[in-house]
Amino acid sequence: MRLGLTLLCLLLMAQVAAAQVTGIAVERSLAGQLRLHVGDTVRLGAAPDSMGRLAVVSAIYEPRPDPAEIAKGERHIRMHLPDLAAMLGSADRVDRFGVGLEPGVPPDSAVAMLNRAAFGYRAYSSRAIASESSQTFVVVSRFHRAIAVITIVASAVFLLCIMLLKVEERRTDAAVMRFVGVSGRTIFAALLLEAALIATVGSAVGIVLAWIAGMVTNAYYQRFFDTALIFSRITPEIVLFGVALSLVLGVLAGGAAAWRLVRTRPMVLWGRG
Amino acid sequence: MSALAWGVKSLARRPLRTALSLAGIAVAAAMLLDMVMLSGGIDQSFAQLLLSRGYQIRLSPKGTLPFDTEASLSGTSAILATLRHDPAIEAAGAVLGASLYGRTRDSLITVFGYGIQPEAQALYQVTAGKDLVPEDTVGILLSDPAARVLGAGVGDSISLLGRLDPQVAVAGVGRRLVVRGMVHFVYDYRGQPSVATVLAAMQRLAHDGIQDRASLVVVKVRDNQAVERVAAGLRQRFPRLEVNSVADLVGHFRERLVYFRQLSYILGSMSLVVTVLLIATLLTITVNERLGEIATLRAIGVSRATIVRQVFAEGTALILLGATLGILLGLVTARYLDAILTSFPGLPATFSFFVPRADTLSRAGLVLVLTGAVAGLYPAWLAARAPIAATLRAEAT
Repeated sequence: MRLGLTLLCLLLMAQVAAAQVTGIAVERSLAGQLRLHVGDTVRLGAAPDSMGRLAVVSAIYEPRPDPAEIAKGERHIRMHLPDLAAMLGSADRVDRFGVGLEPGVPPDSAVAMLNRAAFGYRAYSSRAIASESSQTFVVVSRFHRAIAVITIVASAVFLLCIMLLKVEERRTDAAVMRFVGVSGRTIFAALLLEAALIATVGSAVGIVLAWIAGMVTNAYYQRFFDTALIFSRITPEIVLFGVALSLVLGVLAGGAAAWRLVRTRPMVLWGRG
Repeated sequence: MSALAWGVKSLARRPLRTALSLAGIAVAAAMLLDMVMLSGGIDQSFAQLLLSRGYQIRLSPKGTLPFDTEASLSGTSAILATLRHDPAIEAAGAVLGASLYGRTRDSLITVFGYGIQPEAQALYQVTAGKDLVPEDTVGILLSDPAARVLGAGVGDSISLLGRLDPQVAVAGVGRRLVVRGMVHFVYDYRGQPSVATVLAAMQRLAHDGIQDRASLVVVKVRDNQAVERVAAGLRQRFPRLEVNSVADLVGHFRERLVYFRQLSYILGSMSLVVTVLLIATLLTITVNERLGEIATLRAIGVSRATIVRQVFAEGTALILLGATLGILLGLVTARYLDAILTSFPGLPATFSFFVPRADTLSRAGLVLVLTGAVAGLYPAWLAARAPIAATLRAEAT
């Protein structure tokens, strides 16, 4: 059972009789913090003035990565329920029960039945708990989406601007091509192709950059929070979306700029109009 | 013509290009402003929240933060007596939090109960009716959400139950209390139904025979400058309690929301990079297009410094216009982003992630202007070193 309360642990160097102590499992990070090893004896209590219970570290465990826990910085130990109840002086009391249903029993009807049976507790299905406890991540996800929209708008404007500048830089080239008889349509197609190429190469570079940034992000936060959770994941859908958006915007921007260019008189493009 | 006016005129020659550049800078500036507001807003908003009633120190069970666990303090009266004898302390009050049930016609409503000492409370502001007085063990205060779910108002009586035992399906204790007033609890999340009674009444409702317990003790220090010194003294005097000043609590809170601070730094930096790239690209292309014009100006005696000043002025004009638009856009997007983040479950309703402050706005503005100056360095260098004769010859052919 996980002890949610902050437990105050004091390492005892003295040996104590094994019969007097209980076994506990200590979270790896807490064991590292307190330099505990299997077989060490610790003193436990629910308050600083009641540290009377001795316990032997019988296991060190790696907790399952939980995004809800990482920022709290809480440390946990696990012990047998009767030991914890005895330590807290609240025998036969628990925070919650887990109930496994027989196959085929609908969780919602079991929940309704339990809630009708008595008051003083509330039954929830696993799905309801997951939905409730994931609210924080729903909010974070909404925030990320909003930031992503702003970033996409900024990128789109940046791309439009760069494409416009890139095409306008070719004014003299376009004028010379027109003077030697190249048609406006050919110039337009060439500039459009160039824009598509730039967008494609830019997308490829962007994917590589995103991949590196994702790796750095994961490495940094996994180390920062001492967890195996994955913080940044680049999925094929994200890559596809990024490339498609970049291509569409690049071609549109390049096309619009090229259209303006081919409609301008060659002498004006040459700077003599 | 001044350099800035020259810059504005130069930008006006290419309206589409300038408009797109301004849009890009505005979005980047808005993002930067939002991120600057986010990085400092969390701390400021939380500190304001904690200091809203003027209490600068909290004492809680060792190893816990206020209301972070269900752990409680014992021997509260002795702690309070010691604190109230300290000449540096103006006021000290205990708070006990507990989950209670309000009885309506045919059902029980879960509410959160605060046991407070009216003479030293840091939790609420009275919005209607009267506050409790220390001896009032039959009075109760309600938040608006609690009044709604209980269907009660000032002057009504309500039944509160505590210590429900699911095995025998009865409450350990029940009390009928009279609503004295409506209050706004500063730490409640949106829609939280909360009630407050005097501490003794809440202790009887929440704890079975174990009196004199509290969730935390709040302390108001006479001199704001002495808060950290008093907190250090209390840590020595009460080694078995957790003593946190507002600065300590802000520090703990900052650790929990470190992700948002770091995200704000990363996104703010990226916004600056985008702004630099955009301005540098635009100015470089503009300078390249106008090399002939620049060479002509140099040929008729205009100094290199004047040319560089003009390029810088164009960058400055761009950044000033873009930043002005960006600040307006940033304030709007900040409200939108704040509405998203403040919907975090359990967050106090009065908390804000994005806090616009004069120093934040001016800092973001200064950073943007510096960014514009940095972005103008390369094009300015390009303009200054343009060979006069070769450029004029190339222009003539």
